[in-house]
Amino acid sequence: MVLSPTGASRSLAAVFTPIKSRGLVDEVCGRIEQAVETGLLTSGQRLPNETELAAALGVSAVTAREALSQLRASGIIRTARGRSGGSFIADDVLPSRERALAQLHELSRLQIRDLALHYQAIAAACAGVAARRSDAADIATLRSFIPAADDDPLSWRLALSEFLLEVAAIARSARLARELIRLQADLGTLTLLPCADTGYRGRTAVILGDVAAAIETHDPGAAETGVKALISATTDWLLTEQAKSY
Amino acid sequence: MSETTSTAGPTTASMAAPAEPGDVGKAAQLAAAELDATIAGIEHRLTEWAADTGAALAAMSGKVTGTAVDKLIRPVVEELVQLPGGYAAGAGFIANAGLLGPERSYIAWWQGPDLEHVDALANFSPNSISRYVKAEWFRIPVETGRAHVTGPYVDFLCTDEYVLTFTHPVFTRPDGPVAGIVGIDVTVQRLERGAMAALRRIGGRATLANADGRAIVSAASDIDAGDLTAPNEPCAQYPVGRTFTLCSDAVGL
Repeated sequence: MVLSPTGASRSLAAVFTPIKSRGLVDEVCGRIEQAVETGLLTSGQRLPNETELAAALGVSAVTAREALSQLRASGIIRTARGRSGGSFIADDVLPSRERALAQLHELSRLQIRDLALHYQAIAAACAGVAARRSDAADIATLRSFIPAADDDPLSWRLALSEFLLEVAAIARSARLARELIRLQADLGTLTLLPCADTGYRGRTAVILGDVAAAIETHDPGAAETGVKALISATTDWLLTEQAKSY
Repeated sequence: MSETTSTAGPTTASMAAPAEPGDVGKAAQLAAAELDATIAGIEHRLTEWAADTGAALAAMSGKVTGTAVDKLIRPVVEELVQLPGGYAAGAGFIANAGLLGPERSYIAWWQGPDLEHVDALANFSPNSISRYVKAEWFRIPVETGRAHVTGPYVDFLCTDEYVLTFTHPVFTRPDGPVAGIVGIDVTVQRLERGAMAALRRIGGRATLANADGRAIVSAASDIDAGDLTAPNEPCAQYPVGRTFTLCSDAVGL
């Protein structure tokens, strides 16, 4: 039987969906924001000028200029004129609780749940394969990403995302790793919120230990259950918090 | 015409197929030598590049700048990456702390046929060295002063691909500290294309593995790149390059 192209083929519908690109300017801004978030670029530090930035990232000078002005508008950099002038990373640029809350309230409960489901599917697939492929060195690296209970929320958030990326690295699947990075970018600064809660930090620290143990003992089932629980802990916290705005 | 081709195939194959155990060993040895030449070739080119880079940096007599490093490294990367039939997916140089500044590193690394500049934003960071000190491909050659192969691993910094990274320390004086490292990324995919034919000539379960026994390429369909393997004794084992082993019959763990 031949499928008629005029029939309601869902795969065909996707072909004709308009292509939206995030744009090069957004891409450059995203890179710089990421560099700030991970501590590579710090407050007060001077940024390269347009020409240098353009050359380093392989974009045109126009794109670099637009990106710098967009970063200035969103308060990530400040510009000083004169002899000691230039663009500098602003003083208060780290992801803030206020910004994360604003992001949370923009999302619907449905969006949060769906994102969590996708995140769980990818992370669980990584964890299952990681449990098959792990060696002693992998486990040592993985455990180094389990944060201490008294670390600050920012380093907790970073450690949690690095922990899951390490699970993907142990699974040794480039595709799953790329998907995980994309999902973490979609979650954005949201994950900062639960990390400020001692109860959440205590619960997740236990889960992280369980996941590492399951991957070490080559138990795919337990590893999958563990990472799913880790993501549920985050989503449940976010949904509880989001409900308070109604 | 098609008949001739179809008979020519099996005939050639049966001619190549060894009749006696001694021939098995000989054909396998030839195939193993072919793979060894490929990997040793990459390692040898890197050693040469490290020596050239060290001499050129020494000639700059303490006035090493980012621009000068780029000028020195980029043409070599271009040659490596664009070499027809070559193995490099990316290559470059990373400065150790001290060469350009106390806490500073400098990365001059490009990848792909279009020579995409890797991690370039890090060069503007005053503490950029922190980005590399923990990475195996940087840390081990710096600490030991010897060449190292990292992987196969998923390379989050550059390609986001499953790769092997060959790195070699660079010295500006024979007894001096390590000035930096030069390295070549080789994707597992590229090695698979280069190694499968030779592996199949050795046997249906012939496997190329790294020093930890982790499979890089295997002729067996139940052994994937990244799986831990062990030799199925008694089987023939051949060294490939400085650290890899080719095993004529491997089992997944």
